[in-house]
Amino acid sequence: MSKDKTFLALADFLIPAHGEMPAFGSVCSFADAEKALDFRVDLKEGFHRGLDADLASSAEAHLERLNKEDGAAFSAVTTIAICTYYMNPRVRELLGYPGQESVLYDSKATQIYLTDGSLGHVLARGRKYRPTPGL
Amino acid sequence: MNVESLSERGARARRDEEVDVAIVGAGPSGSVAALHLARAGFSVVVLEQGEWPEYNDYTGARPEHELVSTKLWHPNPNVRDNPNDYPVDTSTTDINPLMFAGVGGSATLYGAQWMHFLPSDFRVRSLDGVAEDWPFSYEDLLPYQLEIEREVGVSGLAGDPAFPPRGPYPFPALPIGSVGLRGALGMERMGWHWWPGSNAIPSEKFGELNACVRRGTCLTGCPEGAKSTTDRSHWPLALKAGARLVTRARVKEVETNEQGLATGVVYVDANGRDRRQRAKVVILCANGVGTPRLLLMSGGAKHPDGLANSSGMVGKRLMMHPFASILASYTDPLDSWRGPFGQQVYSLEFYETDERRGFVRGSKWNCMPSGGPVGVSGAIGSKVYVAEEGRFQDFWGANLHENVARRFGHSLIWGIVGEDLPEEENQVVLSKDLVDSDGLPAPQIIYKVNENSNRLLQFNIDRCLESVRAAGAIETLVSTPVRESGWHLIGTTVMGDDPKRSVVDQWGACHDVPNLYIMDASTFPTSGATNPTATIMAVALRNTRRMIAERRNQKVA
Repeated sequence: MSKDKTFLALADFLIPAHGEMPAFGSVCSFADAEKALDFRVDLKEGFHRGLDADLASSAEAHLERLNKEDGAAFSAVTTIAICTYYMNPRVRELLGYPGQESVLYDSKATQIYLTDGSLGHVLARGRKYRPTPGL
Repeated sequence: MNVESLSERGARARRDEEVDVAIVGAGPSGSVAALHLARAGFSVVVLEQGEWPEYNDYTGARPEHELVSTKLWHPNPNVRDNPNDYPVDTSTTDINPLMFAGVGGSATLYGAQWMHFLPSDFRVRSLDGVAEDWPFSYEDLLPYQLEIEREVGVSGLAGDPAFPPRGPYPFPALPIGSVGLRGALGMERMGWHWWPGSNAIPSEKFGELNACVRRGTCLTGCPEGAKSTTDRSHWPLALKAGARLVTRARVKEVETNEQGLATGVVYVDANGRDRRQRAKVVILCANGVGTPRLLLMSGGAKHPDGLANSSGMVGKRLMMHPFASILASYTDPLDSWRGPFGQQVYSLEFYETDERRGFVRGSKWNCMPSGGPVGVSGAIGSKVYVAEEGRFQDFWGANLHENVARRFGHSLIWGIVGEDLPEEENQVVLSKDLVDSDGLPAPQIIYKVNENSNRLLQFNIDRCLESVRAAGAIETLVSTPVRESGWHLIGTTVMGDDPKRSVVDQWGACHDVPNLYIMDASTFPTSGATNPTATIMAVALRNTRRMIAERRNQKVA
């Protein structure tokens, strides 16, 4: 089995379709995973070692073995799978995640905790600190 | 001049030039000392083992952020594996020390939570019968705290009844967002203290700092240049005042003469060559691990136990603030990827000692957003919420989707910082077999979370769970103590009046070497339970002012 097919089989086991969310292979390709891997060259060796299997056993059994016997390879394969998936624009759209966005706000706007009385309750509960003059 | 052009400024001193002051480390304390000494007319050279931050490398605004930051911007130098950092032997510690080498220091990766120590922090012996009182008081330090706040550009709301009255912060508090409001709701329902977060992040443009845009990636470097770090807040001014900064300069030894006075330092430059920087005064600002490491590497045959160590206290009493975190999920949306990350609200409800709780001293809580989908999945990166014995299937397949749907955008994190009491057994020593990229011995951390801390954390976790459930949490995940949480490196060259029991005096001068100073958190007698950067910079300013005032009385080689 080629590496790309092995990876997609593993990734689809890790990230199957569920509710509205698509399976890994429905929205992401092996090329996407390789692009992600370029951001993390430290994972390359483990990633390729993790795909060095013919998957005669099931994807789950292979991952189980990797998790027990080669933690670095397991970590590399799963890290690339999940990060590639959640970097995907369609997946982000379904999640309602715009990324770590910039948000405009008025720094001088009156905050709600000043007008709804909640901070007033904190003040009403009185001083919390222990004074120390003379000590 | 803009901050991006600064790396071309500053230069090594001329060969054999003796400067007034050589400072080791360009983090928060070293930057304060450099700026104020240069302004007072001292010739100053700062030696920094890292480099200037490259803001384009901060990935917070890009899709690959969660993938890249778990390596490139990981706070643990052993994970980051950058040759500018030194590795740390963590085989004998419950908590990993976290740090970053570069202009701006470890604050490059801090959350910018900005809080003074409280009055009781300076009087723990008098009030609670533990550890030692500080040689100075909250009131002594307050003017320096307020001056540093103006230099740093802190946002916050004055009037917190957990502190003595004080004047306004330089900038209005940042928005607390849905996460902060939900955190506050839980505290309100319990009748407990909370307050809008104070952060070293200006809410309006200030000098080289841009206004915060709530990107939410403070812990992995701020791509906006809004989080206040001294590469932006202090260094443009320090260079203008004449301070010189040498990057990729790893100091390996403080040199002394026959009279036991410091004569300068030896450092390894970017090309791996040993160089000597002569100085009338040396100031160490290399953090609570790097500073004792350097002293233990110095002294030669005359001081086999390390320089400035006649008390035997160098490296001892390491405090790292044992830390617990509680992730709480809610049904309604909280937009919980939005910043500021550091603290949208905080609580000091359990800061002061109440002996009925079964432990002394207390905690600070800070409410933070939970971040992107990869982080909240619990599947990779931080193993914070993954049990060692857990099956991998618990985090993958349908469980992955369900965990992310429940938590992403719907959760907050309360971080609980517990005061760490000093114990001599918790210490920094030199590793016998691990070395850095220049072949210098790495530090080894010997540290155990003590019984007081364990009780303190469990009490606070139980209270925190009450609070988040009172606000409607449908899921809670607890981690304690978090192994990757040694942000605050404190106490390893303790200050005091007795040279037999302390390393430096209240002004940071070493008892054994009067022209060798230490100005980082190594000197703190106790740790408080607040984030220490505000106090580190204020103490450095107080010491620096004293050095300037006493310049004519300073003993030099």
